[in-house]
Amino acid sequence: MKDKRRMFSGRMLLFEFRNVIGNPYVHIFGVGMPVLMMVIITRAVVGEIPDAELLASMTTSVFLGIGALIPMATIFMGYGIAHAQELEKGIPQRMELFGIGVRLSLCSRIVSEVIFMAIAFSIYFAAGFVIADVKTPKASGAALYAVCILALSVMLFCLAHAIACMLRKFSLVYCVTMLLYFAMMILGGMMGISFDNMPSVMQAAAKLLPVTYINRDFGGIWVGESYNFMPMLQSYLLMGAVAGILLFVAVRRDSRRLH
Amino acid sequence: MLLSIQNLVVKYGSATALAITAPIEVEEGDRVGVIGSNGAGKTTLVKSILGIVPYQGTIKTELAPEQMAVHMQFNEYTDNMPVKYVMEAILDTEIAKDKRLQELIEFFEFQDCLKKKYSKLSGGQKQRFTIIMVMMQDAPLTFYDEVTSGLDFETRQKLVEKLVEWYRGKDASFMMVSHYYEELDQLADKLLILDKGRVVDYGRREELFRKYCGRAVIVMDNTPENDILMRGVERMVSPKHLIAISCDSEEKERELTRVLLQNNVNYRRSNNDIEMLYINAKEAGSGSGAFPAGTASEIGRCGDER
Repeated sequence: MKDKRRMFSGRMLLFEFRNVIGNPYVHIFGVGMPVLMMVIITRAVVGEIPDAELLASMTTSVFLGIGALIPMATIFMGYGIAHAQELEKGIPQRMELFGIGVRLSLCSRIVSEVIFMAIAFSIYFAAGFVIADVKTPKASGAALYAVCILALSVMLFCLAHAIACMLRKFSLVYCVTMLLYFAMMILGGMMGISFDNMPSVMQAAAKLLPVTYINRDFGGIWVGESYNFMPMLQSYLLMGAVAGILLFVAVRRDSRRLH
Repeated sequence: MLLSIQNLVVKYGSATALAITAPIEVEEGDRVGVIGSNGAGKTTLVKSILGIVPYQGTIKTELAPEQMAVHMQFNEYTDNMPVKYVMEAILDTEIAKDKRLQELIEFFEFQDCLKKKYSKLSGGQKQRFTIIMVMMQDAPLTFYDEVTSGLDFETRQKLVEKLVEWYRGKDASFMMVSHYYEELDQLADKLLILDKGRVVDYGRREELFRKYCGRAVIVMDNTPENDILMRGVERMVSPKHLIAISCDSEEKERELTRVLLQNNVNYRRSNNDIEMLYINAKEAGSGSGAFPAGTASEIGRCGDER
């Protein structure tokens, strides 16, 4: 049998990846929806901005901002809801009783989610470069975008797992993650109101979210413009701390009392 | 000793679901049947041993958690892929390359189900799916919680036959929770009797039978004719539709069967009837929290006034 201390197993990784791609939600909202939104919004921008250079900058900014929807949909919503469904059926506990520990499950799942997200991003970028006039990135800009998205994804995974473990009921988890998903979209400036046009209260909340910076500022970072990363870093640290604490509490609360 | 339980208390809110005071010890090679009516605390006991419900008290074992296998009452798996992949991931093996697993799959006639998703399996197939994986764990101690519940008679019989065959000659231990006494008849050599969260008794089947039922039990239908025929004979506690007589000695048994044969009465004789044992043990000692002392002649008897 498996050793509970193990954190990685190729077969578990494959299993979790099959589990991820078997969830239709992530294909619709994690792949289809961002591509569709990107196409619609960049097309709308084309009609309003006559200047070609400005248009390319705007398109790139919108494109990169909408990209943040992929981890939000595939990981935060997709995993959160799927895990709540599994918890309701007692599947994680059943797996643990077979000796598959929480660490192994979590590590396999997070890597699978990241692999799926990488595939989703490949499709998204392929569509973006074909359909929209996205600027070619500087290597540093592309690397920073990848790091920021990856870090956001890991934090969203921790948050989704903690919310599912704490609330346990599918309906509740669906409701809470959906509310937070839309809150992040609105505050991140992805729903039509840009950060500058938000009331000050909304701006204060928006500043705490990494998606705000990804959506608002990555157009410049992408092409190598200088940028003060401190506010963005602070938002990451805050979200990371919240996600980490919630995950710790959730895992500890669910752990078995062993003899 | 594989497992020792003492002063175990499990509470759900303010209600006590299980309270075990006297020690319960499971030795290597023990096959323990756990019986009791609904709400007796059988599943709670299994869950507390596995550490998945909070409890107070002492559960001692040298076994690591992964050395205890369990077939829960309800087992669910992801429905996002065929069960073949679920099985391979859980067991960390490849069916095509694992001879032992192939044998088990064949043994439980599961080959044709491997490509199906879990929700598409029948009740019996679902049970067999978990049993195969539980057995592949080859654990020193395995728990079976109502493994045949919800299955039709034929499937149940088949499954139990498979289990009997599988465990023949092996020294692995198990605790099996069941409402079907005929299953335990075939599988268990010890019984743990629970009632309302308390232990009524625990011990070897034959010893418990002697304690509560005597040497043998004669059971017949509770018809008016049989009732008249058995007037004056001391009866055991039994289901209303039956009359049960305990026979402490061979002479008493011979005399009783002679009367029954003379009157052309259909009867059943048993020296290991778990149902009679359970009913009489429950009647004699439920709620004490410790094993009741005494013999069949002192306890569990009802006379004509019943």
